[in-house]
Amino acid sequence: MRQSFTAVIERNATLTGEFTTEPYEAAWAREARWFVRVLDSAGHAPRMLVRTQISPDGLHWCDLDAGTEQSVDPAEGPVHSWPAEGFGGWLRLRGTVVGEQSDAASVKVLIYLALKS
Amino acid sequence: MTTAPHPDPRLLDPKLAKFNPLRRVLAHDDFNTGTHGWIELIGNHDQHGDLDTVDAHMSDFRPPQLSSCNFFDVGTHGAMSGTYALKVATRPVTGHTGVAIRRLTMSGRGRVQFETYFAYKAEAASADNGAAGAAGGGRWDANNHPSEQQFGALTVATDICDGVRYHNVVRYQNTDLDHTVQHRWMYPTVPEPTPREHFEGKVKLPRTADFTAPDPADWQQFGERQELCFNEVPTKVNWHYLRWVIDTSTRSNVELQVNDVVHDMRDVPVPPYDEEYGSLQNLLNFYVSVRTHTDVRNFLYLDSVLISVDW
Repeated sequence: MRQSFTAVIERNATLTGEFTTEPYEAAWAREARWFVRVLDSAGHAPRMLVRTQISPDGLHWCDLDAGTEQSVDPAEGPVHSWPAEGFGGWLRLRGTVVGEQSDAASVKVLIYLALKS
Repeated sequence: MTTAPHPDPRLLDPKLAKFNPLRRVLAHDDFNTGTHGWIELIGNHDQHGDLDTVDAHMSDFRPPQLSSCNFFDVGTHGAMSGTYALKVATRPVTGHTGVAIRRLTMSGRGRVQFETYFAYKAEAASADNGAAGAAGGGRWDANNHPSEQQFGALTVATDICDGVRYHNVVRYQNTDLDHTVQHRWMYPTVPEPTPREHFEGKVKLPRTADFTAPDPADWQQFGERQELCFNEVPTKVNWHYLRWVIDTSTRSNVELQVNDVVHDMRDVPVPPYDEEYGSLQNLLNFYVSVRTHTDVRNFLYLDSVLISVDW
């Protein structure tokens, strides 16, 4: 039987501007997949632009896959997902919430990290 | 040549031999094989699943991690047995608490024993996290590392209900809120504030409140001070034995052993709730928590856990 664990990395969090999620250890996992569930949003055409980041130690970070950016657009539905592959031992997201009037843009989300050995 | 059989054949298993279980083992959690039901504690939500109804101070206890104890200087430290330990981590926010809970029920009454091998750490410094300059830090003297004063407290506790609900709680207070070394074992003199008390308008706590007992004046020391083995720097992991016995037939504490010290807890009170709670008959939960007193992540690692009972 393979091991699995879904971690709720952010819960009911209202994100604005630039953000990073807390470091998460996932060296045991062969598979990783992010899910973002949008609960609410505010501002004009708010979107969350995020990159998966990786680290050798949980302290120092770089982009995975040369910084492939995911767009989480609430207008495209409440649930968004993408995989992370070849990530080593640590995972987090680095992102920014933008809008046509970016100073007012926010998204309220759950961020899940689904891991499988 | 013949050899006499071991008096307790369970202890021929190296994974069990490092424990001293009571008669019946309810759970043996080896974190090389998953999280074994240890999961983030969260407050209660309403009938719609509206997370806005979760108490702020019980809304962000952080997901536990299967950690290989991975550090910037040595790479993968590994656990006491195998590669993985259960890690409970705080945010780098003063007063933030990480909590993992394990949920059982009772099929009897009597002695219940919680054993674990644990380690505790504050996060190593980096330019990004600024730990070297955070409160509690200081000068390094090549023996004691300022990181040790940046670890707040770790707690092992229960949530039990046999009609009466109560929590047995033991906390290792490494530092006080001013980052002064304490090395004290503590217990709360009041029961934990509950979501129902908030719902009834009796209590509303801020996000970083100490959910076990928010008022520092409600904590008392038991036993003697005890120095543990932080081991100088934030990247060396030494595993400590903890054995805690309670008695659910008398809703009381019995004793706490941490390494070579046994603290008699028979006179350490266990404050019950005055009010009854539904939906909790025979509840037997254990939680572990880690609380930071500065803007530095604190970590509690469990190599493995063994829960045993005498019924």
